[in-house]
Amino acid sequence: MKNSRNRVVTVTIVLVLALLIFVLPLVAASEFSFRGAGGKGHSFINYVWLIHQDGFASHLLTSLQLALLSGLINLILMVPTAVLLHLKLAKWRSIVEFICILPLIIPVVSLAIGAQVAMPKFVQNSQYELVFFFVIIALPFTYRTLDTALSSIDLKTLVEASRSLGASWPATIIRVIIPSIRGGITGALFLSFALAIGEFTITSLLHWDTFPTWTVVAAQQNILGAIALSVFSFVGAVLLMVLIAMVSNHKRSKSNSQLEEVAP
Amino acid sequence: MKKEAVANRSEGTARRSFSLSKISFPLFPFFAFVGFFLLWPILAVTIRSLKGNKNEWTLENYRPLIHGSYFHAFVVSIKLASITALIGALLGGLFAYVIVNSAGPRLTSVLDSISAVFANSGGVPLAFMFIAAFGTEGLFTKFLKAIGWDIYAGKFTLFSFTGVVMVYSFFQIPLMILVFKPALQGLRKEWSEASINLGANSFTYWRRVVIPILTPSFLGAFFLLFAGGFSAYATARAMTVGTVPLVPIIIGTLVDGNVISNEANLGDALAVGMIVVAGVAMSGYLIAQRRANRWRSA
Repeated sequence: MKNSRNRVVTVTIVLVLALLIFVLPLVAASEFSFRGAGGKGHSFINYVWLIHQDGFASHLLTSLQLALLSGLINLILMVPTAVLLHLKLAKWRSIVEFICILPLIIPVVSLAIGAQVAMPKFVQNSQYELVFFFVIIALPFTYRTLDTALSSIDLKTLVEASRSLGASWPATIIRVIIPSIRGGITGALFLSFALAIGEFTITSLLHWDTFPTWTVVAAQQNILGAIALSVFSFVGAVLLMVLIAMVSNHKRSKSNSQLEEVAP
Repeated sequence: MKKEAVANRSEGTARRSFSLSKISFPLFPFFAFVGFFLLWPILAVTIRSLKGNKNEWTLENYRPLIHGSYFHAFVVSIKLASITALIGALLGGLFAYVIVNSAGPRLTSVLDSISAVFANSGGVPLAFMFIAAFGTEGLFTKFLKAIGWDIYAGKFTLFSFTGVVMVYSFFQIPLMILVFKPALQGLRKEWSEASINLGANSFTYWRRVVIPILTPSFLGAFFLLFAGGFSAYATARAMTVGTVPLVPIIIGTLVDGNVISNEANLGDALAVGMIVVAGVAMSGYLIAQRRANRWRSA
């Protein structure tokens, strides 16, 4: 009896705190973002302003493009690496694991300065250089996600079965391994996508313009519009992530049955 | 640990399996990529920070870091990171505890995604959300004023040290939830049952079982949060327009200002200084992590 009462008390405290720290700023910002002209009444005027701003669509598009690319490169680089570390090369695992937490250790500001010093001119002259650094920044998260997914399946047996049935390596990877860790792959893809689309530090220090850096400029012109922009980025990101969680959960529960009928 | 056992077993099979031995060096793309885009930039900035104007080796660039305003910026940055990491660790730990014990799997996965977004939030959007709630014209400020508490009566502003601490908590707490939750999920039901069977009440169970087991994970998470708070740039830039001296902001101004040689090397030294501080924190994280794992395998 006492235990359940304690539990109710803790849950209540946490809910109140969450309300104060997380919900309140969001609600307050939403309220401001719907204020009408001159701050009176409520309307969509700030969102309309936002969409009509110069560069809203183009910067959003740039960001989406860079984020998608960095998600894909992340997968192309990390899926084979993680699979190899699980299949054999176990002695390399601790080295790779260590390298994969380095981006958490090295401040992004320092990495940005390093990039300015070290990258050859032709790399620095293209905004696509950002993609590579987005991949680096996302590395700790994608590696962990893929590693967890691979630990939860019997990779060894699957691969040996597939190889002894005569499948080539590429066929094994595409038709056996990838379908069986699909949840981990979508997770890794969207984590790196989400990180890249909101990345500000390295973008701004390398003097490129994407959606997050554009918001700084836009924010200086119209405070209510800037708040609308904040709500837009935030709610958009949350909705995207929740959607992904639901989709990958759905896939994960299905993937067990898919294993029996591994077919293209 | 279980993972190692699996790994050892796989090595054993690899040796006799004809098909697996063909894949030995394909880690090359990974090492080439991190080598070029992560290790080389860090090495390059370190080398340049040790060079003088005439390309000679020197420690001169580091001299400004040990006294005066740059030293002060390091102190403020470290203070900010420690306080926000502590708040994040305590509250985030509590949140994670409640999520693990009270939320179903579906709600947990939704909360995970939300935490991931919040933990990576920052910059202008975050700053404006807090301005809307706690700024001079903010909703909550007005509400508090209506019930008789003017938070702006004293020295408080959102752009002061205290204000930045508040805003940083917004991403430190969710980060703690993400990092600390696995440790809480690792607490086995059997341990609580065993200690109750041995006559422990819940206080004793917490003091003698839960806290000793979770301490390494908790400390590890604290260090991780510290490193994150110490390096945060976007939020600090949106919030503090020179009001709070922080190292990342100073580096940013040096980079933005098109400064020539002299100052550029100072920026390098500051960048390396940041790596050193964050590196110390992360060594703490790694040590704590190792201890946490040892506990789990024992």
